Amino acid sequence: MYVELHARSAFSFLEGASSPEELARVCAEHNMPAMALLDRDGVYGSPRFHLAARKLSIRAHIGAEITSVAGWRYPLLVESREGYQNLCRLITRMKLRAKKGEGSARPEEIAGMGGGLICLTGGEEGPLAHALAQGGIESALECIEQLCRAFGRQNVYVELQRHFHRDEEARNQAAVAIARKLKLPLLAANGVSHALPQQREVLDVFTCIRRHRTLATAGRLLSRNSERYFKGQTEMALLFSDLPAAIAGTEVLSSRLQFTLNDLGYKFPAYPVPDGGSQMQFLRQRTYEGMIGRYGSSDERARRQIDRELALIEKLDLSGYFLIVWDIVRFCREKNILVQGRGSAANSAVCYALGITAVDPVGMDLLFERFLSEERGEWPDIDLDLPSGDQRERAIQYVYERYGKLGAAMTANVITYRGRSAAREIGKALSFDTETLDRLAGLVGSWEYKDPGDTLARHFRDTGLDLQHPRVRKFFELCQAVQDLPRHLGQHSGGMVVCQGQLDSVVPLEPATMPGRVVVQWDKEDCADMGIVKVDLLGLGMMAVLEDSLQIIREQHGEEVDLGHLPANDPAVYAALQNADTVGMFQVESRAQMSCLPRLRPKCFYDIVVQVAIIRPGPIVGKMVHPYLKRRQGLETPEYFHPDLRPALERTLGVPLFQEQLLRMAMIAAGFTGGEAEELRRTMGFKRSEARMKEIEVKLRRGMHAKGITGEMQDKIVQSIASFALYGFPESHAASFALIAYASAYLKCHYLAAFTAAMLNNQPMGFYRPATLVKDAQRHGLKCKPIDLTRSDWKCTLETIPEGFAVRLGMSYVKGLRKEIALEIVRQREIRRFASIDDLKQRVPEMQKSELTALAETGALNFISSKRNSHRRDALWQVERAARRPGPLLETQENSENESAVILESPLQPMTAEERLVADFRGTGLTAGPHPMAYRRAELKRHGIRAAVELAKIPDGTRVRVAGAVIARQRPGTAKGFVFLSLEDETGIANAIITPQLFERDHTVVVHHPFLLIEGTLQNQDNVVSVKVERVLPLEISRAEMTSHDFH
Amino acid sequence: MAFASVFVPNFMVQAVVRAEPALRESALALVEGKPPLCSVTAVNEKAAQMGIEIGMAKTNAARFAGLEIRPRSLSQEEIAHAVLLDIGWSVSPRMEDTAQDAIALDITGLSYLFGSEEDIGAHLLQCSSTCSLRPNVAIASNVDTALIAARGFAGITVIPSGQESKYLGELSVSVLSPSAETAETLSRWGVHTCAAFAGLPVLQLSERLGQEGVRLHVLARGASSRSLVIADLGHSFEEEMDLDDAVEELDPLSFLLGRLLDQLCARLAARSLAAAAVRVRFELQPAFENAFDIRKETFRSKNPSGLYEREIQLPIPARDSKMLLKLLRLRLQSNPPGAPIHKILLAADSARPRATQGGLFLPSFPDPEKLELTIARIANVVGEGNVGSPSLVDTHRPGEFQMRRFLTPLAAVETNCNQGGAHSGKQRADSKVATSFRAFRPPVPAKLELHAGRPTRVIFQGLRGEVLAAAGPWRTSGDWWREDPWQQDEWDLEIHFHSFSGHSDVSAKFHPECGLYRFYYDSLRGGWFVRGIYD
Repeated sequence: MYVELHARSAFSFLEGASSPEELARVCAEHNMPAMALLDRDGVYGSPRFHLAARKLSIRAHIGAEITSVAGWRYPLLVESREGYQNLCRLITRMKLRAKKGEGSARPEEIAGMGGGLICLTGGEEGPLAHALAQGGIESALECIEQLCRAFGRQNVYVELQRHFHRDEEARNQAAVAIARKLKLPLLAANGVSHALPQQREVLDVFTCIRRHRTLATAGRLLSRNSERYFKGQTEMALLFSDLPAAIAGTEVLSSRLQFTLNDLGYKFPAYPVPDGGSQMQFLRQRTYEGMIGRYGSSDERARRQIDRELALIEKLDLSGYFLIVWDIVRFCREKNILVQGRGSAANSAVCYALGITAVDPVGMDLLFERFLSEERGEWPDIDLDLPSGDQRERAIQYVYERYGKLGAAMTANVITYRGRSAAREIGKALSFDTETLDRLAGLVGSWEYKDPGDTLARHFRDTGLDLQHPRVRKFFELCQAVQDLPRHLGQHSGGMVVCQGQLDSVVPLEPATMPGRVVVQWDKEDCADMGIVKVDLLGLGMMAVLEDSLQIIREQHGEEVDLGHLPANDPAVYAALQNADTVGMFQVESRAQMSCLPRLRPKCFYDIVVQVAIIRPGPIVGKMVHPYLKRRQGLETPEYFHPDLRPALERTLGVPLFQEQLLRMAMIAAGFTGGEAEELRRTMGFKRSEARMKEIEVKLRRGMHAKGITGEMQDKIVQSIASFALYGFPESHAASFALIAYASAYLKCHYLAAFTAAMLNNQPMGFYRPATLVKDAQRHGLKCKPIDLTRSDWKCTLETIPEGFAVRLGMSYVKGLRKEIALEIVRQREIRRFASIDDLKQRVPEMQKSELTALAETGALNFISSKRNSHRRDALWQVERAARRPGPLLETQENSENESAVILESPLQPMTAEERLVADFRGTGLTAGPHPMAYRRAELKRHGIRAAVELAKIPDGTRVRVAGAVIARQRPGTAKGFVFLSLEDETGIANAIITPQLFERDHTVVVHHPFLLIEGTLQNQDNVVSVKVERVLPLEISRAEMTSHDFH
Repeated sequence: MAFASVFVPNFMVQAVVRAEPALRESALALVEGKPPLCSVTAVNEKAAQMGIEIGMAKTNAARFAGLEIRPRSLSQEEIAHAVLLDIGWSVSPRMEDTAQDAIALDITGLSYLFGSEEDIGAHLLQCSSTCSLRPNVAIASNVDTALIAARGFAGITVIPSGQESKYLGELSVSVLSPSAETAETLSRWGVHTCAAFAGLPVLQLSERLGQEGVRLHVLARGASSRSLVIADLGHSFEEEMDLDDAVEELDPLSFLLGRLLDQLCARLAARSLAAAAVRVRFELQPAFENAFDIRKETFRSKNPSGLYEREIQLPIPARDSKMLLKLLRLRLQSNPPGAPIHKILLAADSARPRATQGGLFLPSFPDPEKLELTIARIANVVGEGNVGSPSLVDTHRPGEFQMRRFLTPLAAVETNCNQGGAHSGKQRADSKVATSFRAFRPPVPAKLELHAGRPTRVIFQGLRGEVLAAAGPWRTSGDWWREDPWQQDEWDLEIHFHSFSGHSDVSAKFHPECGLYRFYYDSLRGGWFVRGIYD
């Protein structure tokens, strides 16, 4: 019996060409009972390999190839948990002291951590081959003796690989002689690098990428032949027919390797409870304290729910986990960092009482089981939203400090080859020129919607690449072959794992690119699969906006707004929502949301929860939006697929909108247990494997069949579950987001200046560009003042004006101006007012000419001179002079002339309005002055072109002409090729719908022109206004570079 | 003083149209870039009106019906430039080669020859028209004003002395060819015309734009007073001969080539230069093309139809016309043009002649010229590409090698010096070979009998033998992305020969009883071959 004990997967990053799952599959196809995965310097692929193997009923041996300081590699196999822990620690140690992607183990480390590990003598990169090459048989003997000393004589196997190479066979003869001399067992292996022979091509391409060569120049770096594929027992037995002991050795060794990843030994850290009490007691106390704050002392329903949850938490021994999350939240509160739990945690009253979440699950009757259930047997998932940027980093660093560098780490994010990256890198290997690759990479995946002809083949043709050409054909095949193979390891945006004691004995740690960060070798899903608990500390731009808004309100209005106690049912908020006046509001500002809001007409908080959840691909693909809206408007009677499903779907009028409903549907209709239902959600939600999804669908259908649900009804339910699982929100998550949406709407309605300034200070975020945010705020009566060097700070600020507050744009909007320069300007300005541009340049000498020019061009220097009526070109004139500093000899003379320079008027003409617009958009991306369309309104009016604001008053079906600057282009995957444009003019935003045929015909005009004139039929129903475009024309309004937010 | 400037607007397009006059009436776009990705680099007016923009992908441009697309032709541009110089020379020897698309001429005193300044302009236009170019001509009292006016105004422009600034005022500042940075500054200032620029105070301008600002200010006012930079004679040495009667025989051709080479070498000698390479280009009579044999196919793939081109790289620069003629004759003998020649173009790349003398203590090398002649004679016999030094290629492909050009000892010494000797040291280390292997080139087809996948008997070249010992297979494959991949299983076989057939190429005298051979099975060709023998 032969067992393959030396295989690399694509998780050896460019040294293997198959996924661990594929290797496991091929292993099972060859009826091999076990297999070992030895990736380079890590166990990156081991969870996937382990899970795949478990499914296929084969044993997954774990190991790694560890790079030595001399460059060769120790192939190590894990025999026991001790061995696994040693391996993880060894990898962690060598990785953490080296640069990202590098690291090597020292001999003394190997000697100290050899326990529980089996060492093979390796193939061409192993210690034996290296020693033979260096010093012949004597040196090889010494090397093997050293390995025996480090790992123990019984733990060293002399490995033989046969790939039909002369050199290798010579090495094998030496290895056999050494094994006989030292009485060591022989072990056959194939040094597998790819599952199938043809994948050698991918391996060769990976070699080129790794060594920065092309296939034409890589020469002998490439594989000599295709023999490193997974070979079955018969093939290997034939290959080693002269050495049957080497084949037999594999079975013996395999039986020794008892460790699997089931035996990980992971423990979540215990929370250090003061005064020697138990964690549960401490949690109970904190929860009850919080409960009184949240619900008062007499809310029996809440108390019952909390008791029920606490009992389950106690039973599952999860108190430590809750306390640790509570501790992070407490830290954030103490440091005035806004924090709010999202996701399924909002289903928990304990989380609500502890202040982790802000949604009342009792009041909203949320399903606790979605968060935690006894039978699921896995850790609950608590995600915390924090303000993106520095504040979130503070929270992350707190976790590192609290649990030590080796006790906490970020989860990894495995970056895989996708259309663009694959095309680019493979093209390079095939010596395609850069321009072709850029164009091709640009074409791949440029729109979310893919029409049926939108294939990789078409992209190739569009780029001018002929698929009939053999090399192009090869390029195409390789691009497809590498799809989804890992490329490198990134860092997950917020997932952190913590561990009792040493995390580095559970999974190896690596330095991240970001200084001070450490990542584990597994991604979020792998960690979850391995039962490692994680806390997601996610950055949310809107949280930063809310936090900044509160700060500005505190400073400028002298008011303290408590987001936890905002007035419920604020009429201004609901009026804005019902009118779709939501630019800048969290989650409800997109064009799709805006077109739904006037139909849904939110009247209470739960309506916002529904609103947040309904405009998602899940409900849209599942065709749930229109039925829900119709039923809500009373135009249709609610239906429930099946009478049994009524309890699960009643609150959303028979339309499944939330994940909780999906779980209940699976449980009711197909008889799934809670655990199975959650498995269904996770499989479909992560979309990790098409095959796995198919499997679970079969199970679902079988279950429904058993319950008598068949035919069309069954299809409908399956479709709604399948489409929904991928994108749907949990109800609790929607509720958490709805809270933020409400808070953002409240601040926008009541503190527009502070909210706008905060929005502008946290870009990029949201659906709209800053230019649109400014125009929207101006339409709401806010005065926006241009950047002024004598008043503007780095960020946008508020200034008091007789009408209230105005927003002063900050210098951060000046393109090309460095932050440190702006801060120095502010510092110098506070010491003494700048007398002139020369004075400015002299006092901030690090300022470059380009920065001065940028400031002058945007009008920021207009007020620096005491001269009245100073204009931008005056400043530009002075800037050119100031930027050419004289040498030290003439500096004094120059200073004495400063005054005259100030008085000198420039001979230049002031900018025209059009020139100012161009300068504003070029220099800052926005304008505080009138909208470009405003300058041409009279002319537009003469041509019968309507303003956006007029459209709402025009009856449905009227032919209209509208013009504006394109601020958003969308081609959503769910819209069957329709394109949605948002056209902005000085009065508001008009929505346009372009059919696929029209888009195909006028593609260039629609995609490239900044200003468009559209003609078509007005659709004005239920206060939702849009134009169904029949004709689209480019319009010359301004040369200002207005950019559109295109969702490609 | 009076100066004329001739400027060819849209030079790239005009250069192409000149070679293909039929394009003049069409919408034309020139494309540039490596196929399959080309983008538009120049367009004529009709194409621009159709909406073709510079930078547009060729695939996009191709969608416009009625648009002619041609590649940009640097050679045509060079010729057009040469023609432009010829036009200038036809009027005045005091000529400045200002740019690829512009020249300036001193026309002072030429009125006696050509008439008024307008007449000179008309003459220049006339000459240009004959040469299929359509330039702008401007005449002014100073060189720069003439050049700027030619860039800015179509047709003939004569600027009376003293009215330069008035004339130039309406032109865009871009005709002054400011640097990119200055152009950007001027754009920011809102200064778009020469008049606006000329109106700026020059002192303050110098504080802001430095000397460039002052220079451009002078230009914008038409007040420049620089002298012409008389055009250099150029470094291109070409001789051309159109033949009334096409030549078919080598001897009369040699006579003509000799004459041209004499002229070329005399010109080189006059400039104290020598030829580093000689290129010959024949235009062939198309009528005879069809009579070509198979060799023509190869030849046609390398050259445009009707052209024969050869280049002789010389190991050291030379100007011995007799030696060059011998080399040319040898080359023509080994690879004849195959059709009558009606035009000859001979060009030499000039270089400084060898000035150094060989070292006193260096071993005496053959004379480089003689060596080159010898190599050319060998190549004449064995074919080009089959002479040189074999060198290994970095690949797993068995037996792969390439032929490198012989270096003359002198050149080899120089190359080694440039590489610091490191390369030669490496070569020495690599040359340590334990076993010698004698490769059969080309490999000899063989027949093998196998038992359980292992060779037992062999037959090749009439030899029949038993396999005494076999090692293998040693498997290699690769170049899978090319059109000529390989996949081979090699065997090292010890063979005892027991019979000999009289049809063998191998003489019985040298027929060994035993031998260690390397055989291989070519999986793609499906046959066995002998690669060679171990010594």
